[in-house]
Order: sequence, then C-alpha cells, then structure tokens
Amino acid sequence: MSALETFFDNVWVDALWRLLAVLGLMVIVVLALTYVERKFVGRIQMRLGPMRTGPYGIMQPIADMVKILLKEDLRPASADRIAFELAPFLAFVPAFLTLLVLPFTAKWDVRVLDLGLLYFIAVSGLTVLGYVFAGWASDNKYALIGALRVAAQLISYEVPLVLAVLALAMLAGSLNLVEIVEKQGRVPFIVWQPLGFFLFMAAAVSDLTRRPFDVAAAESEVAGGPWIEFSGIRWSILYALTEYTNMFALCTLGSLIFLGGWNWPLGLEWGWWWQLALIFAKTSALILVVMWVNATFPRVRVDQLMSFCWKLLLPLAFVQVFLNGLILVYDWPDWTFLVTSGLALAAAGYIVYSVLPIGSPSRMVVRSGA
Amino acid sequence: MLGVLRGLAETLRTMARKPVTIQYPTVRRPIPERERGYPLLLWDSEAGEPFCTGCHACERACPTECISVTMKDNPLAAEEKSKRRKIVDKFILDYGRCIRCRICVETCNFSAIAMNNTWDGHEMSRYDRSELVVDLEQLLAKSKAGGFTPWVAP
Amino acid sequence: MATDLDRDLETLDINVNVGPQHPATHGVFRMVLTVSGEKVVDVVPHIGYMHRGAEKLSEGVDYRQALIYQDRTEYLAQFNAEMCYCMAVEKLAGLEVPERAEYIRVILTELNRITSHYMFVGAFATDIGVYGTAFTYAFREREYIQEIFDAVSGDRMMYGYFRPGGVVWDVTADFKDRVRWVCGQTRVGIDDLDRLLTTNEVFLTRCHDIGAISLEDAIDYGLSGPMLRACGLPFDLRRAEPYSIYDRFEFDIPTGTTGDVYDRYLVRMEEMRQSVRIVEQAIEQMPDGPIMPEKAPRRLRLPPGEVYMRTENPRGEYGIYLVSKGGEKPYRLKIRSSCLSNLTALKQMIVGQYVADAVVILGSVDIVLGEVDR
Repeated sequence: MSALETFFDNVWVDALWRLLAVLGLMVIVVLALTYVERKFVGRIQMRLGPMRTGPYGIMQPIADMVKILLKEDLRPASADRIAFELAPFLAFVPAFLTLLVLPFTAKWDVRVLDLGLLYFIAVSGLTVLGYVFAGWASDNKYALIGALRVAAQLISYEVPLVLAVLALAMLAGSLNLVEIVEKQGRVPFIVWQPLGFFLFMAAAVSDLTRRPFDVAAAESEVAGGPWIEFSGIRWSILYALTEYTNMFALCTLGSLIFLGGWNWPLGLEWGWWWQLALIFAKTSALILVVMWVNATFPRVRVDQLMSFCWKLLLPLAFVQVFLNGLILVYDWPDWTFLVTSGLALAAAGYIVYSVLPIGSPSRMVVRSGA
Repeated sequence: MLGVLRGLAETLRTMARKPVTIQYPTVRRPIPERERGYPLLLWDSEAGEPFCTGCHACERACPTECISVTMKDNPLAAEEKSKRRKIVDKFILDYGRCIRCRICVETCNFSAIAMNNTWDGHEMSRYDRSELVVDLEQLLAKSKAGGFTPWVAP
Repeated sequence: MATDLDRDLETLDINVNVGPQHPATHGVFRMVLTVSGEKVVDVVPHIGYMHRGAEKLSEGVDYRQALIYQDRTEYLAQFNAEMCYCMAVEKLAGLEVPERAEYIRVILTELNRITSHYMFVGAFATDIGVYGTAFTYAFREREYIQEIFDAVSGDRMMYGYFRPGGVVWDVTADFKDRVRWVCGQTRVGIDDLDRLLTTNEVFLTRCHDIGAISLEDAIDYGLSGPMLRACGLPFDLRRAEPYSIYDRFEFDIPTGTTGDVYDRYLVRMEEMRQSVRIVEQAIEQMPDGPIMPEKAPRRLRLPPGEVYMRTENPRGEYGIYLVSKGGEKPYRLKIRSSCLSNLTALKQMIVGQYVADAVVILGSVDIVLGEVDR
C-alpha cells in the first residue's frame, strides 16, 4: 500500500478527517436551514422571504452570521462565570455528537456503532444540561423559570421518544443503524409502525422546542426564556445552532429508521450518489414537515404541554411497545403490525376528537331581531 | 385530530399561491389618483407666477397650523401682465406637522394648493427634521418642472 | 391562598410587569400581574400612555377640522368613529343626509368593520402563538379592502372622508364592481382563516373556557359589542336603536353562550360574514344622487344644545357627547370609549387564570389604545 493509504488507514487520522467532514456538513446544513426556514415559512404566508441579500436572498445566512459575530458579547456581572461560559457548549456539543453515529449512505459515516440508536438517544438527552446551566447562570429569576420549564419539557418528551424508538428496535431486532436500514429493503418501517412514527415526530418537535411546543420562546412574552442574558455568538450557539443541528440529526434519524433511509425503494446495489440523494430527499421532507407544523399551529400552554406528554403520548408509547412485543412473541405475520398500530393511532385520534370540544356551529347561536 | 389536519391542509393550499408582497423600492405599487401625498403649490405657466395669492384661507383652515403665509402686491399686475393684484410672498409649510387631511385644498379659492398624488409625495424621509420645513420655491418645484396634474374633486 | 404548606414555605407572589413596550399588548398598555405560582392573583392595568388630548383639541377647532381627530382616536375602525361624529353633528344641526351618501357611509362603515375584525383575528392568533400565518392571511384580505378605501378617500388609514351632512366627494366610477369583488374575496378569506384556526385542536385548548365572564357581570361592568354578545345577549345597536339606514338591511346578530375567549372569536368571525351581507345588500340598493345636502353651509354653525349619539363600533358602543354653545367650535366633545369600558372587566376575567392566558384574554378584548386613552 502506498504511503498515503497507510496514512489514512491510521485510525486516528481516519477519525479526524471524518469528523471534519461531518463538522463541515453540519455548518453548511445549519446555514442552509436558516435560509430554507425563512423562505419556506414565507411561502406559506404568501410572502417572499429574504430577497435582497444576494440573488433571492442566498447570502442571508452569511449576513446573519456576520451580524451575530459582530455583536457585543454581554455578560451579566452577577452571573455564575463557569456555568455561564459552559452553558452554550453543553447545549450544542451533544447535538453535534449525535451526528457522529448516523450513516448517510452504506459506507459514509463517522463510526457505525452496534448500539448506535441507544447512543443517539442517550447523547441527545444531554442538551437539557445546557439549558439548565443557562437558566441558573443568568442570575435572572425569569431565565430560571424558563429554563426549568424547558428542562421539564425536554425530559418529559424523552420518554415517549425512547419508547417509540425502542418499539422500532424490537421490530428490527437490532440497535445498529446500518442494520435497521438494511432491514427496510422491501417495506419501510413507517408502514409497520404508523403510531410509532407519529409518536416519534411529536416527541421530536417537542425536543426541538418548536411550535406547537415552544413554551421556551413563549416565556419571553411574560416571564423570559433561558437564553435572555446571552447575546451574540453565545446566543447563536445556544439557540440557532443547537436547534438546527438537532433538527437535522433527528430528521435524519427519522428518515433512517422509519422511511427506509438510503435503502428503500432502490435497494443496496445502487451507487452512493443515489443513496445520498434518497437520504437527502427524505430528510428534507421531514424537515419541511417540521417547519410546516411550526408555521401552522399556535403554541400550547405549559400545563397542557405536560398533559399531552404524560396523558396521551406516554400511554400510546406503552401500547405500541406492548403490541410489538405481542406480535413478535407469537410470531404473527407482518401485516398485523400495520393493523394494530394503525388502529391504535386512529383510536387515539378519536379519543382526542371526542374529548375536546370542537367549535361546531351549534355552539354559537345566531339570532335575528332584537 | 381533524382540526389540526384541516389547518395543515390550509397552509399547504396557501403554499401554492403566488406571494402577495412586492419588493419596494425596486417595484412600487401604482397609487390611485386621489392619493393624498404631502401638499404642494401649483404654478401658472401662462402667467409665469404661482396661482397662490397669499389669502391665508388655508392657513386658517389647517387643523395643525402648519402653514405660514404672507402676501405682497403683485409686481406683474403693475406691469399689466397678470390679473392677480396680490401674490404670495412667503409660504412656509411644515411637512412634519402636516397630517395630509386635504382641508387646505378644499378651502383654497384659487385651486393653488394640491396634494401630491405621486410617490415622492410620500417619500419624505429626511435626515434632519428641519429639512421638512419647506418654503415657496421647494413647494413650486414640482409643478414648475411640468407634467404634474393634480386631482380635482368633482 | 394561605394553606399550612404556604405558611411553612413562605412563598412569595411575583409581580410580572407586562410592560408598555410589549409585542403582545396591542399598543402601549401596561398591566402588572401578581402571580402566585402559575395563577394570577391580581391585575393592575395602567393606561394613559397614549393620551393625546383628542377631546381638548377638538374644542379648539371647528366642526370640519374636529372630524380628523376621530380618525386618529379610533385608528382601526375609522369610518365607524367618523360616522358617529357626523351623525352627532347632524342631529344637533338638523342636517338631512342624502340617500346616496347614507348608502356610501354604510358600505364603507361595514367594510371597515370587516377590516377591524381581520386585524383582531391576525393579532389574536399572534398572541396565541401562531407564527404569523394567520396574521399574513388576515392582512392580505385587509389589504384588498384598504385599496378601495385608498382609491375613494385618498389615504390608507386616516380617511377623513365623511363630513357632517354626507361625504366630501363622490366615490370612484368602479366602486360598485370593486366592492362586489371584495365581498366575494372576503368570504374566501374568512373561510381560509376559519379552516386554519376555528377547529384546530391546539387553538381550542388555548381558547376554550378561558377568561369567561357571566352575563350579569358583563352588564354590570358596562361591556358592549362582541364581548357582550359572546355572553349570550343579542344586543346590537344597529338593531336596538337603528341609526342611519340600518333598518333597511337584513342581518343576523351572532351571540355566544359562555362568554369565554373562544366565543368572542367566533362572534367576531360571524360578524364579518354578516357585514358582508349588509354590504352586498347596500351595494344593490345604492341610488344615484347628490352626496351633500344642497343648502350645506360652508362653515357649520351649530345651535346651542347637547346631543349624545352612539353607534355600534367593532369594539362596542362608541358614543359622542357633543355640547355646543352656538358658534363654529364644539364646547365639549366627549368620546365614550368602548375599549375603556371593556377593559374595566379585565381584572374579573384574568384573576384565577394562568399567566400565559393573561395575554390571550387581553387580546380577546380587542383594544385600540388610541380609543382607550384618547
């Protein structure tokens, strides 16, 4: 082997250049997502979005980045120094670490771990620490209240997320992400697990603190969010970078485990460019769905947020795990997955529909005459 | 669950519509002819003098008292060139106080003041507030240059 | 709320200041909420940040000039305010408004009601947390109507188009076609917003059973307009004391049942549809003719006397109490502000609710600070 090949065979060098590649990918993706969000949401709202910075506003993320870098980095005098410094990084680094275990094609990944799925869920749960540190270190009672609310939200929604993913791992029989994708050659797992997919998306939207679950931002209407004392690049790390990296990671995970990744529908024999295109398309679809939901819904109140998680999502997650277990133990055919999961989802929808009062015309009395 | 799906379908539907915003200042919306831009004075090109005789009618009618007028004897009348015996001497209008209510135009007996129904009747951003106080020459400039037809109420 | 636990823990109530500069308070309005845990214990509203002395200024100008202050007081339902003022002056002066002018006034007033309610829906949805989608929809619809106002009166916001006796000049030649088109477009727009918000479960959970006020309390506090109708009383001044030509039109009065935030939203949405009905009827019936009475004096001099005229504004009962001592200028022009009376019930509605709902309830009252503070 030539000197270059032995150089790149070295495990440290190999890890290093893969790491740098993913880092570069993440930076480009985050910049692109800020632009895509503004354009996409603008389209929904029948307006143009950024148009002036560069042709069709392409340079807008660059302009935003320059603006944020040039801002004064304020630190409150009474802030807890160490916690204040650490907070943005504690929020962002776990989000980046989750990218390390995602296979973008059959051969392109940083490291495929046998416990890849477990690693992903476990590490992504660490971002809570960043928010709590931010709230505590700001020495601001509103920041603290906001941070504790966000912490409660993120920790609560971890549970249905983990259970939905666990149900899927039971179905696939492995926690290795590459194996899960390879098992979806014929049918993507969303067909077998519609309820699981719904749970995953709901929990993901909440994990990203996006509407309808963005109580953290709503705090700034009345009581302040955990990042109100942060400015400039620290705020950008804490808010924009973390959120978009998390969004990218979660949506890639969703497309890998539910939508068939780079495997379905073309299979493993097609070249890396097809696989890349497929995964790009599926991840983009999920990201656009998250942004679409963001633009449509109002935000829920904090207590309603908690009830939604503990009273609706968690029982449904248990039901999904139970059903999966039942089917796997008794070795029933595959279509029972679809039927049971679909019925459970429909039942959940019906329960919500009948419990909540829907604004029907009968509720309003229209009278003529005094 | 249907309600959220209906909401999502609605936003999906609007995604397909054309954007309704236009890119000002590259593109400007056409403004109607009755538009009340900031007022200006009209120039009588036949007689070579402004229509305004300085009669103070608009000054009295203005609710915000933003007009200040003085009149003088018309030198052109002495030379038999014009029928107006008095003409405006100084006319100061504070655009910063004007509320564009058009009462001055309604009151004027000589149709000498009009609202500027073009885009530069609206684009009045200045760096210093004192630049908003305009005098006779500035008020006559647009009408003197020609091509400005004000809207006259029926 | 002094339980044993509270005494042991010595909990403190926090004062949360929803300050004058705030994206959610619809203007410069300040309310200080005293919060115990999550529930609001006390509300102290502070008004007056937008007081500009409209009533006093009206005493120094004549009747034609005083009209423009009405626009600037009620800057979202301008034609309604102008109409009330013009009718007050006409009542005292004994002026007879020609038919065509009456129809023009009613059409423009009802279209203004629609724009005002669109503004409410947009701002209310933003308070609830929709990321601007409902706001842009509402404003797109509002823009179509505002273009008609612009074409007819010359300005997009401060119209100054009505005069005591009629309107200042006739409408444009394409007025009828444009109004007919905008009626159809408004129905589409209302349905758009309806589909986006009304049955949305998340919207429902934020609005249902929030800020309810009983009918007896509503009457005690002097609420009017959609706030009163949402409590169940079908009281509309256009029906109870018909002014202008409202007795010629057929329209329904939407009422709610519980008086909560959701009912107010529904009442306003339905009122928009009823306003479209009125405009469609009016535009068919509109005759040709003069727009000012023939003997209209150049300078209006009113005989001594006083008059109280009230109209149904989008926000409630707007009243003008005009005292004249003869002469060209009003001696006293008092504006009965609907928003101010509606705001007196704020404490009743907010105390006991969650903090996050305080902003929603304030949004549902639909205040215009210019009218509250004058």
